[in-house]
Amino acid sequence: MKTLILRADGLLRGSSPAIALPTRRRHLLLILAIFGGAYGAAMGTFSGLAGGHWLQIIYSALKVPLLLAATFVLSLPSFFVLNTILGVRADFGEALRALIAGQAALTVVLCAFAPITLLWYASSSDYDQAILFNALMFGGASFAGQQVLRRLYRPLVKRHPRHRQLLIVWLMIYAFVGIQMGWVLRPFVGNPDAAPQFLRAEMWGNAYVVVIKRAAAALR
Amino acid sequence: MLKWIGALDRILKGEVTRLSALRSGTIDVPAGGLSVVVLMLGIIYGVCMGVFAVVGRWKTPHVRMGFEQLAASAVKVPSLFFLTLLITFPSLYVFNALVGSRLSFKTVLRLLIAVLGVMLAVLASFGTIIVFFSVCTTSYPFMLVLNVIMFSISGLLGLGFLLQTLHRLSMAQELNLRPQPISAPPAPVVTVPSAPAVAGPAEKSAADPAAPQAPPAAAPSNPAPLPLPNPRPSGGALDWLDDQAVSRNVRLVFRLWLILFAIVGAQMGWVLRPFIGNPALPFTLFRPRQSNFFEAVYRALHHLFS
Repeated sequence: MKTLILRADGLLRGSSPAIALPTRRRHLLLILAIFGGAYGAAMGTFSGLAGGHWLQIIYSALKVPLLLAATFVLSLPSFFVLNTILGVRADFGEALRALIAGQAALTVVLCAFAPITLLWYASSSDYDQAILFNALMFGGASFAGQQVLRRLYRPLVKRHPRHRQLLIVWLMIYAFVGIQMGWVLRPFVGNPDAAPQFLRAEMWGNAYVVVIKRAAAALR
Repeated sequence: MLKWIGALDRILKGEVTRLSALRSGTIDVPAGGLSVVVLMLGIIYGVCMGVFAVVGRWKTPHVRMGFEQLAASAVKVPSLFFLTLLITFPSLYVFNALVGSRLSFKTVLRLLIAVLGVMLAVLASFGTIIVFFSVCTTSYPFMLVLNVIMFSISGLLGLGFLLQTLHRLSMAQELNLRPQPISAPPAPVVTVPSAPAVAGPAEKSAADPAAPQAPPAAAPSNPAPLPLPNPRPSGGALDWLDDQAVSRNVRLVFRLWLILFAIVGAQMGWVLRPFIGNPALPFTLFRPRQSNFFEAVYRALHHLFS
């Protein structure tokens, strides 16, 4: 546990020599699962423990790492092919490690936000506001994760400027899939008026279509 | 099979289209084996596309229609590409002969199959995303637009590859024809992709896989690799200009042909529709002849935003 925290610390500082060891990838995944799960658990406490609502805590703890991992896996094939076509396949191993490290950093930052989220829950019982607050936390953590990612990409960009464009492409694909994944994996916060569920299958749908429809309705 | 996938991998990495590899005047890929790989990738993407039809009809009496649509899509996606190839191949070959490029029939065919390989590799890699959205989306127009975007991206990358390879092929041939300058050793010619004199600024397109291999520092310290020797006092300069003029013509013709290819591809997609299958309509193998691709995309966008 202590080594894990030390590694997480090293990840944020970037002090370790560019995560060179191959074993680091496993540690990064471990960081992602544990820290992401920790924030998920905090996220799921909104509806309290009574009446079986403690289940939501477990669900959310599973779902946050799942959200990141599934988005990552779905986006990876196209990123791999694009890397190959643009002639930087040789660097792909390093790029992959940088991407995972960026995600791990995201979860570490997210986990650090967990007390703030709990304080927010303690002070307000508005469900919509809680969702909005969590979105804000995720936004902040993504921003921080991106800084780490960009730092790890710096040597790659130096080697080949095309990596800079590829990083932008990655962020676009990842955001596109990730937003929809977050939508599908609802509920994360857990409506106190409803029984806790792992997935709300009947409420599946397309986040983008919802946004477009709402925007169109608002403009009319 | 693995060997053929390896061939596709070499194409994607740009190893096949390095100038040194092209100097024989042809592309060294197994056309037949590569076609099989292209077929497989097309089937994979077709299945991914067809998932939407199955999911949309799941647990309804029409679920069989969904599977029919899935099977149809799996056949149609590879057909789309091969038929487009079939239709545009004669014109590419004729144009190519017309502008005086010296590519043989076989080379043009191999080149186009390699292009299909690039397109379908990109397309199939988007398959995971398409399946994910298919599973959780009920909006047909959204899927339509998403698929059009995926096809466009892969098409653009494939055509970029085509343009780049055609250019390199003609460059390789020009290099072969021109008498070798005595001072320049043969080896540095490999790094010719960094030769701005021949390529021109427009050719620094995204699909230029071979160029980056040489460290940038090597170029200024060693100006010898530039294939442009000082023009000989008699006639040499004129030859060079002629060559350049030809290559500009070739480029223009090929660019025009690319537009043709894109339009034919889009319209072929329209003829072969439905690929995704509107869940509100019963399954049909083909739809009646009406309208065109661009109008349909416009209508889907309109539907999505209203």
